[in-house]
Amino acid sequence: MEQLVEYLLVGARWALPVLAVWVLARCVWSMLRERYEPEVWAWLEASDGSRAALRHWECILGRSKRCDIPVARDDVQSTHAVFVRSDKGRWTLYDLSGGKTSSGIRTDTGEGMELRDGETVQFGGQTMTFHDLSEAERAAEEERRSVPGTLLSQGGTLLLLSIFQVLLTLELVQVLSGEAQTQTALGFAFLILLEWCCYLLMRAFDRSGYELETVAFFLCSLGLAVSASSTPEDMPKQIVLLVAGVALYLILGLWLRNLRRSKAFRWPIAGTAIVFLILNVALGVRTNGAVNWLDIGPFRLQPSEFVKLAYIYVGATSLDRLYRRRNLFLFIGFSAAIVGALALIGDFGAALIFFVTFLVISFMRSGSFATVFLAVAGAGLAGFLVLTVKPYVAQRFAAWGHVWADPYGAGWQQTRALSAAASGGLTGVGAGQGWLHKVFAADTDMVFCLVSEELGLIVALCAVLAVAALAVFAVRSAARGRSSFYVIAACSAASMLVTQLALNVFGSTDILPFTGVTFPFVSKGGSSLISCWGLLAFLKAADTRQNASFSVKLAARRRAGESGEDEVTSNK
Amino acid sequence: MKRIKTRAWAALILAAALLFGTGVYVWRFAVNGRYWVGFSANESVYQNGALAVGVVTDRNGVVLADVKDGARVYADGAETRIACLHAVGDAAGNIGTGALSAFSDRLSGYSLFSGASGKGGSVTLSIDAELNRCAWEALSGRSGAVLVSNYETGEVLCMVSSPSYDPNVGFDAEDPAYEGVYLNRALSAVYTPGSVFKLLTIAAAIERVDDLYTRTFFCDGSREVNGHILTCSGVHGSQTIEQALANSCNCAFAELSLELGAKTLEQYADKLGFTRQHSLSGVYTAIGSIYAGEEGSAELAWSGIGQAADVICPAALLRYVSAIAGDGVLREPSLVLGESGGRTRLLSADTAEKIKAMMNYNVVSSYGEWRFPGLTKLCAKTGTAEVGDGTSHAWFAGFLDDPERPYAFVVVIEHGGGGLSAASPVANQVLQKLVEENNK
Repeated sequence: MEQLVEYLLVGARWALPVLAVWVLARCVWSMLRERYEPEVWAWLEASDGSRAALRHWECILGRSKRCDIPVARDDVQSTHAVFVRSDKGRWTLYDLSGGKTSSGIRTDTGEGMELRDGETVQFGGQTMTFHDLSEAERAAEEERRSVPGTLLSQGGTLLLLSIFQVLLTLELVQVLSGEAQTQTALGFAFLILLEWCCYLLMRAFDRSGYELETVAFFLCSLGLAVSASSTPEDMPKQIVLLVAGVALYLILGLWLRNLRRSKAFRWPIAGTAIVFLILNVALGVRTNGAVNWLDIGPFRLQPSEFVKLAYIYVGATSLDRLYRRRNLFLFIGFSAAIVGALALIGDFGAALIFFVTFLVISFMRSGSFATVFLAVAGAGLAGFLVLTVKPYVAQRFAAWGHVWADPYGAGWQQTRALSAAASGGLTGVGAGQGWLHKVFAADTDMVFCLVSEELGLIVALCAVLAVAALAVFAVRSAARGRSSFYVIAACSAASMLVTQLALNVFGSTDILPFTGVTFPFVSKGGSSLISCWGLLAFLKAADTRQNASFSVKLAARRRAGESGEDEVTSNK
Repeated sequence: MKRIKTRAWAALILAAALLFGTGVYVWRFAVNGRYWVGFSANESVYQNGALAVGVVTDRNGVVLADVKDGARVYADGAETRIACLHAVGDAAGNIGTGALSAFSDRLSGYSLFSGASGKGGSVTLSIDAELNRCAWEALSGRSGAVLVSNYETGEVLCMVSSPSYDPNVGFDAEDPAYEGVYLNRALSAVYTPGSVFKLLTIAAAIERVDDLYTRTFFCDGSREVNGHILTCSGVHGSQTIEQALANSCNCAFAELSLELGAKTLEQYADKLGFTRQHSLSGVYTAIGSIYAGEEGSAELAWSGIGQAADVICPAALLRYVSAIAGDGVLREPSLVLGESGGRTRLLSADTAEKIKAMMNYNVVSSYGEWRFPGLTKLCAKTGTAEVGDGTSHAWFAGFLDDPERPYAFVVVIEHGGGGLSAASPVANQVLQKLVEENNK
């Protein structure tokens, strides 16, 4: 028996990287190689009989070639009008041309005109007839689209992940003893149970896409391993936080299904976020230079983590609103309030994450590089101010690139992180067998190097690539996005994750100044873990592959809903 | 939606930046990982700042440093431990040239693939502990350094620095006898070279002075240069250049120095590597310096004789005599067995041949072959470097021009007195031992 365990342990050191690469490759392959067929929701017929498809829930008509429905006429403006489809399947036409669309649209209040099948609309001198898709056409359309999971079995990938987790547990259990040993084993058992429950739940609701969840659970198992190695006594707490994260993911995902409801709650959520930050500024607890904690009863919250979710939510918007300046100004005001509050708190890393996300959102909304450059210039000045006012931030900048010149001072953390990471080589010294976890903040700010030390560079790189894959997935989904609300939300959530990851990894490895932010899903820390699951929900809501996402209504059920039936029927 | 779709690429720019940065890190990891591992805070290989893994042996497999029960242990025999201290190093890393510090990456057992998670690695030094012991005995407590190498393979066979101490015992830091004990004088120290520097001046003279071999150099015991009196070690009368070198005549070499000029001397010092840093298997040497003064000045005259502000590192001199032995081409010296350094041409074959002949003539005509029984074809140069306090550093450097025994050597004894009387017996003793071992 002991002999067997020993063989398994030797095998595990090799098997873990192999499994990690395998799991990640399957997820990426499935996310990127699945067919993303365009959908057709309605048709526009010109007077000469030519037809243009409305392929999204929001489509722009205009002279510009970059419009969804280009109309090459001088009397049509470059961005002339927007077609918007509601959850219920009703189409509304909004004018952006200042009254050059046919009567019935009130341009002054921004109210649209409801479109019915066969209705004729005037765009400048161009007359077009609107055709909603008939029931039969929609059914044929859905039949034609393929369901994900046919290329690679999602359950198979999850099984591989489970083997990875079992081997990881085995390694940890060998090193740990006493209560820590039991709690770690139970913790991982619970993680495996949780991921399979989620999987079965998805299958029960006929959803077939599970790559995002698999990637997140992969990262979470690294997080649990880190926790087991640095603070095994916190294992039950980590599990509770994980469950809270997954719960938030499911709730937010379901909430986002309904576009109109989602949009309606943007400003209340913005208000709540501001209140949160004000509370933080007023009542915060100072730790390591930043006052970014809030003690509520036995829990210690980091409000900025939850504000991240609100920020994505508020930043996203649908096309009919996108072209109204008032919206953009409100958003800029909201951003400034958040970054300002974070500056007061002294959370430099979080402010940076918000700022980069702000750039992505404002670029996606305006498409203007000028706006982005202006913002960067403004932030450059603000950053300079921070450097002169906050000495500890300036010190981190001074050490940047020279950490080996001062391994017992400014380079304390980075030099230890690099040394430990190099000791791990490609396959690691074994879970729980490193020493970096004894260094302060190793399980949060330097977690990349901690994973690299114990599980090897390959597994650590897999964790980085997993997050990068989420970003690529968000961009791919954008091509077939229904509403710009989902597309902007998904892309900005992905950008936020990537930025946070980059600051964490590059900060601890001296490629960027050390900012002390968390590694998504892996770093120990409750607020961060929960908010990462929340961000994942925005990605899930943009996944419009046929029957892929629980955050998107099933085609058949949606039809049932549209035709007046309130509850889901067995009609699919 | 088409526009939003296009703008979604903004998120990909961030992902691309992430991948780029990760690429930079992986590259650094692959290139620098071995150095990161050698950080003394790395508990995988260090304990309390001391390297806790790795075995150091000499060329014959004699264990010089090992780990037993988590503690560092050294060679058996106090003399061996003392003689090999600077080659092996100390656990705390005070001796930077020692294997425990300089080769910590190899001793940690580091490999890119498995990191430093194994049981540690080993390093086989090119030195012969027995030979080191012999050199240590020959120095008999005097401060200085002994270097012997095989000039064909570049392997350093003997490297001793004195003062030294037994790492099992330690030393009394208050005792002035142990001043600079952590310094490996063979690699990390620079000394006034005195007459061994004439080997450099002669190289320049052979290549730049046309009538060198037909000229007569006259010495009446002193020479006036620019108002300063430059003294010689004796009254040598009329001499050929060979005789002038064998006599180590200051008057003759002052004449040559003034003729060659400051720039030429500095050029040769650079070309021959005296003012450069060298790496012996990754261990860096101290850099010498030459200040040849103004043209026509007494400083220039003294500089060509190896006095004035000249300082050189013993290892740089070993390189130079090895190049003379190798017909102008040097095999770079190395400290690790089987790791020969590259080849560097320092001199033309013709110049090397001429210097070699003169160095052999030194031994035959001046030093006396009887001092070095059995060491056929010994080529050498003595040095008695005045250091200003009335004492002199004693130097003896050279090689055996014998393909069966291709050994180069440098001996320097601080305040040791005459090169021939003080340093040459040390070289002789070590070379005798080497030849004896060779004959076995």
